[in-house]
Amino acid sequence: MFRGIKEWLLSLKNEGVEQVPDETKREFLKIGLIITGVFAGGSLFSVVSKVAEGLASPEELHKGYPYKPHYSMVFKLDRCIDCELCMEACRKTNHVPDYGWRTMILRRHDETALDQKTLFMPILCNHCNNPPCVRACPTKATYKDKKTGIVRMAYYKCLGCKTCMVACPYNARYFNEEKHAVDKCDFCWESRLSKGMTITACAEACPAGVRIFGDLSDPGSEVYQLVHQLAKPVWVLKPETGARPNVFYTIS
Amino acid sequence: MSEKKNPVATEAEVTTFSQTWLSSLLEFLSGTKAFYFLVGLSALVVLLAAMFGVNAMHIGFRHAYGVYREIPWGLLISGYVFFVVTSTGLCIVSSIGHVFGVKSFIPIAKRSVYLSVVTIVAGFMVIFFDVENPFRLPIWNTLSPNFTSNIWWMGTLYGAYLFFMTLEFILLLLEKHRYAMLSGLLGLISGVAAHSNLGAVFGMLHGREFWYGPYMPIYFIASAAASGCTAIIFFTYLGYKITGERMDRAMEMSLQAVGKIWALFLAVLMFFTTWKLITGLAGGEGKVLAIKELLAGKYALNFWLFEVGFGLLIPFFLLLLSGFRNLNQMFAASVFAFIGIFFMRVDLVVVGQIVSHFFEYKVTDFPVLLKYSPSIYEIMVVVGATAFCIMAFLIGEKVFKGHKTEIH
Amino acid sequence: MRKVKVLAGTMILLLGFTGIAFVSEKNKEEVAIPEEPQGVVYYESEDFGGPEIVYAKPVRGVLFSHKYHVGELGLPCESCHNSIFEMQALKSQENPDFNMEALYKGKYCGACHNGESAFASNTKCATCHIGVKGLREYMKKLAEKEKK
Repeated sequence: MFRGIKEWLLSLKNEGVEQVPDETKREFLKIGLIITGVFAGGSLFSVVSKVAEGLASPEELHKGYPYKPHYSMVFKLDRCIDCELCMEACRKTNHVPDYGWRTMILRRHDETALDQKTLFMPILCNHCNNPPCVRACPTKATYKDKKTGIVRMAYYKCLGCKTCMVACPYNARYFNEEKHAVDKCDFCWESRLSKGMTITACAEACPAGVRIFGDLSDPGSEVYQLVHQLAKPVWVLKPETGARPNVFYTIS
Repeated sequence: MSEKKNPVATEAEVTTFSQTWLSSLLEFLSGTKAFYFLVGLSALVVLLAAMFGVNAMHIGFRHAYGVYREIPWGLLISGYVFFVVTSTGLCIVSSIGHVFGVKSFIPIAKRSVYLSVVTIVAGFMVIFFDVENPFRLPIWNTLSPNFTSNIWWMGTLYGAYLFFMTLEFILLLLEKHRYAMLSGLLGLISGVAAHSNLGAVFGMLHGREFWYGPYMPIYFIASAAASGCTAIIFFTYLGYKITGERMDRAMEMSLQAVGKIWALFLAVLMFFTTWKLITGLAGGEGKVLAIKELLAGKYALNFWLFEVGFGLLIPFFLLLLSGFRNLNQMFAASVFAFIGIFFMRVDLVVVGQIVSHFFEYKVTDFPVLLKYSPSIYEIMVVVGATAFCIMAFLIGEKVFKGHKTEIH
Repeated sequence: MRKVKVLAGTMILLLGFTGIAFVSEKNKEEVAIPEEPQGVVYYESEDFGGPEIVYAKPVRGVLFSHKYHVGELGLPCESCHNSIFEMQALKSQENPDFNMEALYKGKYCGACHNGESAFASNTKCATCHIGVKGLREYMKKLAEKEKK
C-alpha cells in the first residue's frame, strides 16, 4: 500500500501556482485558515479579506476604504477640556449604566513636562478594521457590520465569556448587567445613525469641536480632510497591535 | 475487569451495561462509615459552593466576584485552566499505555481515564459559574460558530473530548479494549487540540504582550503532561492508601515509569519558564513591567515560592531523591506540585492582565499596574470543584474497586 | 462522638465562609458620587489674597488660581478687581456672556490672555480647563479640609 502511495506521489507533477487563478488561491488559503482556526493578523489577513484594505498606518492612507460609508472619528486632542458632556450625552442616548462607559476621557499628566502639564485624551471603541475582539468571540456575538464597518453587538448571542474584553487593546468593552451582554460603543448606530441622524451623540454634545465624526470614504467629509494631509500629525493608539483602528488623533 | 469477580455478574457471559450499573450500585452501598462520611462531607462542600455560585449569579458577578472591567479573568479562569490542564495531562499520560501499547503504563490507565473525566467535569463546573450566560452557550456555540475563535474551538473540542473519554471509560469497563483504544485515540487528539487551543486563547491576543506568541499553546501541552503525571501519582498512591491494599509489582513499575516522565516534563517546564523570563525581560515595555511584577513585585511570592519552589524545584529534587523507587517521596512531590501548579495557573492568567491598557500615556485614571484579589465567591467555586474531584475520586475507588486492570 | 465534633467544626467553618462573603458583599457597595456643586472655592492659603476658584458654568472644571497669579506672579489685586472681576468668587459664571467668545474679545480672562500679556485664550486649553476630573479633585480637597 505504501509503495502505491509513494509511486503516486512521485508521479505527481508540479502544476505551478502561477496557473491557479487568484480567486482559487484565495479560497484555498481561506479554507486553510478557517479550518485551523488560525487567522494571522496583518499581511496574511489581507490576502483573504478585503477588510484589511482599509487603513491603519500612514502608508496605507490612500488605499481606499472597504466600507460605504466608512465611519470614522477624528479627535482634535489639544481642544479637549474634559467637560465630559460627551460622556453624559452617551449615557443618556445609549442608556449606559453608571458602572460602565462606552467613551471616556483619560487625563495624561506629567509634572516634568514643559509648560502645559495636562492633556485630555478621549477614548472609545476604535472600530478596528482587524478587530481582535471579533476574531476572539466564539459565537459571532460581536461582528463587523458589512456595510458600515461599525463593530457591533448581537446582544442575544453573547455568552459573557469576556474574551472580547481581554482581547480589546483599548479597554472599550464592559459587561452590561441589564442587557446580560458585553456592551460597547457602536457609533450610536442603534440609537441615532440607523434612525437617519448623521452624527454621534458625543460628537454633537462636544462644545469644543474635539470629536469629528464622518465618512472616511467620502473625500468631501471633514474626517477625510483631517486624515489625508501631512501638515499636522495624525496618529492612532497602539498601532503595534495590528488592529488597524478607525479612530484617529490629531491636533487643531 | 471487576465483573468477573462480582457475584452479580458471575453468571453472565456478556456483561451488559445495566448489569455494570447494578454492580456499581451494590458496591457503593457496601461502603464503610468513614467512606460515607468523607463522601458526604465533600458533597456538602460541593453543595455549599453551588449555593455560593448560584447566589453570585443572582446578585450579579460584578458584585460577587473580584474581577472587573480591566481584569475580566480571575481565579475562576485560573481554576478552569487548572482542571482542564490536569484532565488533558491525565489523558496524555494514560494514552501512552492503552493507546500506544506501552506495557508498563497499562495499570494506571483506567484510573487516569476516570479521573480525566472527573477533572474535566470539574473544569466545566467552574466555567459554568464564570460565564455570565452559561445557558446560551450550547445554543449559540452550535448555531453561530466563529471558526476564527480559539475559544470556540477549545469549547467544542473539549465537548468532544468529554464525550470520547466517557465513552472510553465505559468501553474499558465493558472490556471492549479495541474500541476503547480507538475512543482513547480520538479523545487524545481532541484533548490535545482543545488544550493547545486553550493556550492559543491567551497566545493569540495581540493586545496582551505578556501572553502573545506561539509560546502559550506549546507551554500548555508540556504543562499538561507534567500535571497529568502529578495527578496520576497523587491519586494512585492515595487510592492504595485508603483501601490499605498492597500495590502489586506491575503498578509499582508503572508509577516509577510515570515518575520518570514527570521528571522529564518538569525539566522541560523549567526550561520553558527560564526562557519565558529571559525573552520577556528583553521584550516590550508592557511585557517587562509584567515580568518584573512577577519576579520582584506583588507576585514574587507566588512565583518564587509556589510556582518555582513548590511547582518545579521541590518535586524535581524529591523525585531525584526517591530514585523513582520510593513512592512515599514521590507522593510528597506530587502534593507540592499540585499546590504549585495551581499558583502557576493563577500567575499565568492574572499577570497577563495587570498591565494597564494605557500605561505608556502616563494617564492618571488607571495605575500602571492594576490589582486583582479574588472574592470569597470565586474561592468557594474553586473549592467546590476541588471537593467534587475528591468526592468523585472516592466514589470511583469504591465503585470500580481500585480501577484494577488485568493485563491480557 | 469524635465524628460529631468534626461535623460541627466543618459546619462552623462553612458558616464562617458564608459570613465573610456576606460582609465582603456589604462592603463592596459603591460609594455614591456626590452631586456636583456650582463651582468650588478652595482656600489654599490666606497669603495669596484669594482662593482657588473652579468654575462649573458654562462648562465644568475651569480653574482660576490666586496661588499662581498672586502668589507666584505677584500681580496686585487691582489688576483685576473690580474692573474685570467682582470680588465675590464665582459671580462671573452667572453672566450670560461668560464664555470663550467673550474672552477672545478681551473680556474676563481675555483681558490679559490675548497672546501678548499672557498666552492667548484659544491656546493651551487644558492649562485652565482642569475638567471634571480636576473639579472632583478640588471637591475632595475641600471636603477633607472641612473635616479638619
